[in-house]
Amino acid sequence: MSLRGSVWTRRIGRTGQVAVLAALALVATACNAKRVSRIDPNAVTDLSGKWNDADSRLVANALIEQSLTAAWQRRYMTAHGGKNPTVMIGAFRNKSLELIPIQTFTRDLERAFINSGQVNVVASKEERDEIRAERTDQQQNAAADSRARQAMEAGANYILQGDVQSIEDSEGREKIIYYQIDATLIDLESNQKVWVGNHRIKKYVERRRLGME
Amino acid sequence: MTPRSRTSVRAAVLTATALFAACTPARVRERPIMVNSDRVANTDSLVAAAAARGEADRARLEARRDSLMQVAMSTCNGGTCAALARGEVVLGMNSAQVMAATRTTPEAWTVRVAGPATIMTPRTLSRTPRDNSGELAMVQLQNGGVSTYAYRERQGLRVVATAADTGITARNRVLADRLQKEGDDFLSAGDRALALDRYDRALLLNPDDYGLEYKVASLLDLQLRPVEALMRYQRFLQQLELQRIDAQGTQAAKLTEAVVRAQQRIVILRQETEAAPPPATPPPAGQPPVDPQD
Repeated sequence: MSLRGSVWTRRIGRTGQVAVLAALALVATACNAKRVSRIDPNAVTDLSGKWNDADSRLVANALIEQSLTAAWQRRYMTAHGGKNPTVMIGAFRNKSLELIPIQTFTRDLERAFINSGQVNVVASKEERDEIRAERTDQQQNAAADSRARQAMEAGANYILQGDVQSIEDSEGREKIIYYQIDATLIDLESNQKVWVGNHRIKKYVERRRLGME
Repeated sequence: MTPRSRTSVRAAVLTATALFAACTPARVRERPIMVNSDRVANTDSLVAAAAARGEADRARLEARRDSLMQVAMSTCNGGTCAALARGEVVLGMNSAQVMAATRTTPEAWTVRVAGPATIMTPRTLSRTPRDNSGELAMVQLQNGGVSTYAYRERQGLRVVATAADTGITARNRVLADRLQKEGDDFLSAGDRALALDRYDRALLLNPDDYGLEYKVASLLDLQLRPVEALMRYQRFLQQLELQRIDAQGTQAAKLTEAVVRAQQRIVILRQETEAAPPPATPPPAGQPPVDPQD
């Protein structure tokens, strides 16, 4: 039975028909407002043009590759009869104007160091405080055979430091965002820089007026 | 064409122009290297390859280190074996023992042979081999045994050439000397504060150096620090006094020993001479005549 032919349609008239259709369309649109789906974490998904997960992963990949293929680790191992160097992840400063979570790529780097078996990583300054507090507590409360000993920490040979800087340039509806990420591995005893890695990202953001591709 | 339709045409042209202007091509014409829906590469394979490579390197180095240790232990004697266990280079070790003591392999050293002498220097200065006492800067072997070696210390190189150069006291003495020299340099350059700093540090390492104590006292005096200068002068005099007493004591002890021995000898000799019968003939030349009254 068609809508036009029904008694109810005749009763509400043409304006009523339009209103009902509009309401139905609105309901249909409202139901479609949110859609959530799982996507590949490695997929590049640029929405605003700002720093995102893809940038973080690109930086991590570059630093991992550069640090694991450089000669510093091998030099240390050779000079110490096969012993691995010990590294502490130090301060990575965000000197850009954006809010950039630094640990997303420093953690990736840390994971690569440990999983490669070539570099030992010790807890950072912030992590150490909690661990030391726990160890001190154990001296008082833990059974003697399970107690972690004091003053047995492994000292780091190197500290990894770095920074993120950005430069923006825009004109009209076009914008260039440039990020430079520098990482340096410094010998804690001699202050010598034994390795310097960096990665650069240049993004071109174009806003189209009519949303045409 | 009616005026109304003319206006419509104009409006259409204007709109088209505006649309065209809005869609003008961008000024930057670079081919993108990564766009939405591309994939960021995974580094797991790279890490795995590095792990495999590192493991192979380590296994090779450890095998070589173990074989060196075996050679070193098979050729060591008491003192050298103990030093090897401590991980310390000592005089008389051979090159294998030096590497075993520093837990290194030949790859960590540059070896230069000049006749009977062999000189081992670290291959890279950034990470030099170290033993239990410090960072080694050079090891010299003469006829296969270590004759001289040098540590890279904060104040420069510390050379060990004799057994007296080893040990904490000898090390402290050498470091104190270096610090005193540095202090002298600063003093000659007119920097009294830094000179005083070096002298103070030297005194901590070698507190019995009364000459240095006097130097510090004079320097404090020059710097118009009377209370500290007074204290240092007093310490200097006290040290001198202690030295004098010590010297006198030693001398007196030696004298006492001589007196006691002389008295003992007198008693013994008297007993011997009393027990013996008086000689019928005069004693041969060179022997003291015996007094018959005794």
